[in-house]
Amino acid sequence: MKKTSSENLRLGVFVIIGTVLLLIAAYAIGSRQNMFGQTFKISAVFKNVNGLQEGNNVRFSGIVVGTVNRIEMINDTTIRVNMIIEEEMLKHIRKDAIATVGSDGLVGSMIINITPGKGKAPLVKSGDEIRSYSRIATEDMLNTLNVTNENAALLTSDLLKVTRSLVDGKGTLGRLLNDTAMANSFWQTIENIEQISLEANTTMQEINGIVENINFEDSPAGILLSDSISGKKIKAVITNLETSVTEINKITANLDTVVSQIKNGKGALNYLTTDTTFVDKLDATMRNIEQGTERFNQNMEALKHNFLFRGYFRKLEREAERSP
Amino acid sequence: MSASLQIVEKAKTFLIEIGDLSFFAGRFFKELLKAPFEFKELLRQCYQLGYRSLVLVGVTGFILGLVLTLQTRPTLIEFGAVSWMPNMVGISIVRELGPMITALICAGRIASGIGAELGSMRVTEQIDAMEVSGTNPFKYLVVTRILATTLMLPLLVIVGDAIALYGSALVENFKGQVSFQLYFNRAFDALGYSDLIPATVKSFFFGFVIGLVGCYKGYYSKKGTAGVGVAANTAVVFTSMLLFIIDFVAVFVSDIFYDL
Amino acid sequence: MPLEEPIQNLKEDHTEKEVMINIEGLHKSFGSNHVLNGFNMKLHRGENLVIMGKSGSGKSVMIKCLVGLIQPDSGRVEVMGRKITSLNQQSLDELRADIGFLFQGSALYDSMTVRENLEFPLRRHKNKLGVITDTTPLVLEALENVGLPHTIDLMPEELSGGMKRRVAIARTLILKPKIILYDEPTSGLDPITAKEIIELMRNIQRKYGTSSLIITHDVDCARVISERMILLVDGINYAEGTYAELSASADPKVQAFFKK
Repeated sequence: MKKTSSENLRLGVFVIIGTVLLLIAAYAIGSRQNMFGQTFKISAVFKNVNGLQEGNNVRFSGIVVGTVNRIEMINDTTIRVNMIIEEEMLKHIRKDAIATVGSDGLVGSMIINITPGKGKAPLVKSGDEIRSYSRIATEDMLNTLNVTNENAALLTSDLLKVTRSLVDGKGTLGRLLNDTAMANSFWQTIENIEQISLEANTTMQEINGIVENINFEDSPAGILLSDSISGKKIKAVITNLETSVTEINKITANLDTVVSQIKNGKGALNYLTTDTTFVDKLDATMRNIEQGTERFNQNMEALKHNFLFRGYFRKLEREAERSP
Repeated sequence: MSASLQIVEKAKTFLIEIGDLSFFAGRFFKELLKAPFEFKELLRQCYQLGYRSLVLVGVTGFILGLVLTLQTRPTLIEFGAVSWMPNMVGISIVRELGPMITALICAGRIASGIGAELGSMRVTEQIDAMEVSGTNPFKYLVVTRILATTLMLPLLVIVGDAIALYGSALVENFKGQVSFQLYFNRAFDALGYSDLIPATVKSFFFGFVIGLVGCYKGYYSKKGTAGVGVAANTAVVFTSMLLFIIDFVAVFVSDIFYDL
Repeated sequence: MPLEEPIQNLKEDHTEKEVMINIEGLHKSFGSNHVLNGFNMKLHRGENLVIMGKSGSGKSVMIKCLVGLIQPDSGRVEVMGRKITSLNQQSLDELRADIGFLFQGSALYDSMTVRENLEFPLRRHKNKLGVITDTTPLVLEALENVGLPHTIDLMPEELSGGMKRRVAIARTLILKPKIILYDEPTSGLDPITAKEIIELMRNIQRKYGTSSLIITHDVDCARVISERMILLVDGINYAEGTYAELSASADPKVQAFFKK
């Protein structure tokens, strides 16, 4: 009988270990879906959730604090996303917090990022709706970047024409200065350049934001990109883009000076027309713009060839073919 | 006899086998519901079939975890995705490899063991002796064994899974300086109930089949010592085949329920 | 090896006594193999009846029909006045408690100790002996009857062939049966051990007054133990009588049994 009881003891230990392991697994999985522990609910309304799914993570200032519980379509432009958040976050999330849909790195799943607001609004309560900001997703951003690039190319050709006219001789210069239509077009061009460099700047900031996200260590895609060569490549491309934009900025500043000089009355105008060095300078500036834009183009090209973006650009091409 | 006739014959034998096995399973459920219940023998079989397979399952699981990680490591490094190792290993072990490898190991150990044991009991008239002693041998021998394997296999699978994951984490810890906490965090991140529940349900069926086929082959073993060998051998072969079929069906069914 | 002379004075006429077993027109066939073709037999209280037949002549089939292990195709099988074939499971089990069955190869349960082997019949037939709280005295008594009380905690594999046979006899005795069926009690044993077993069988009969049906193809065994003999040839009771009568028969088929 002794043998049987020791057998039963060992069997009991085995059964308990097995059951406990099963429960631990169930708990570990469940706690990731916030099925246990104290939670509260908040919601946010979006126009587009970019493929967010129920069960995706919710981050507050980068920390995973909950999951997406339910996504419901309210009408054709409004989607309500309900989130379950750990209760202890009640102490930190304020009513002016902003929810954005983002992706967990470039290849990761979608997440909701909650960023603290600037003010000192009261803390959220369960059931509150917080503000949302449909942040430009990677796709939209790349789209903007592409448009910016095309605009830059157009401008460069415009500027080239103008510069050629300037270089062609005094008569032309005179005509340029007298011809209001021409002058207007020049102004327009300069404004456009300003606009473009502004856009490029915003885009760069957004890219920077993404890159920061990528660097975020816990994100799987971040780790993926940090270990991979392609990640480094993307960084290099982005750095190049940044340089190009800085150059465009400088050029714009130069042009600004020119324009203000022109604006500043006849003295300046005389100075402009008589001083050949200035004309040379203008010419050099134009050349720089050309080079800058070219490099910008190359960088865009490089970005297109990067495997991560390849799919996106192909899609663009296909769409372009389909809609002539 | 022409080849096609032989194939027809083989298919017929197979179908008869399946039919007999179904009747056997039906008898199991019928006897299961009738009193008296052989609880002490059930515990003994749980110990014999479950606990005593633990070392085997543990060692196999550990090696499975090690090997799986070591083998996939270079490829994942090439793709720069070595940090996805816990997710990959976690999902593949919990969903498929853990239950399947454990079940196959148990088919080799338990199904053949039951086949040989019941076969030799049949041959040496021990089963008849039981019946004459007023104990229903089907209840005492078959019901307890099938029930024991059905209950024990999921436990063996979960322990095997845990040990396999530990083995994998050990490699990652050693080669990739990934802490155990991070490893298991990421592994559980990748897992959902849609992985754990179908795998556990599947394990019950695996256990049932291992016990059922082992008992069936042993209980109807042919006379003579050769019959015992045949019973043990065919028990393993038949069980392994059925395991794969059940696995296939299980994937389909869990696909319907969980939309994988 | 001459065994001791049959004790003729033990023989008495039982024919007037109560009929314990009555078989009439027993038929059983397995496929096209007709094993029993209308076998008749009567066993009276306190009688020692030996049934002799060649291997495969259907002796074992007949004896298994007696305890309901095999269903006969046709014929009447009555044990202590009750028809075996028309009993439900519960009454059959009750009846079986009065029949001891010694299987050919002892049929001890390999996975149990001697004690557990002997306790096994008590599990279901407890009512017969009243409420038993401690089975040890019963087990020891049965083992003392066969002279092996020291083996109580051994496993069957640790016993010799002769000891196994004795333990098996002890197991059939533990329920104090009214009838004991011996299926080849001396098969596989050396002549000295066989003689010891036969001696034991006689002692038991003397002590408990049981009726015995012995199936054997061993002439020496039959000579020593039989009071009456039936020769089973071609599925029928070919000849009947005492050892002396049959061994003196001129029938060639009968003579074939007694030729050395």
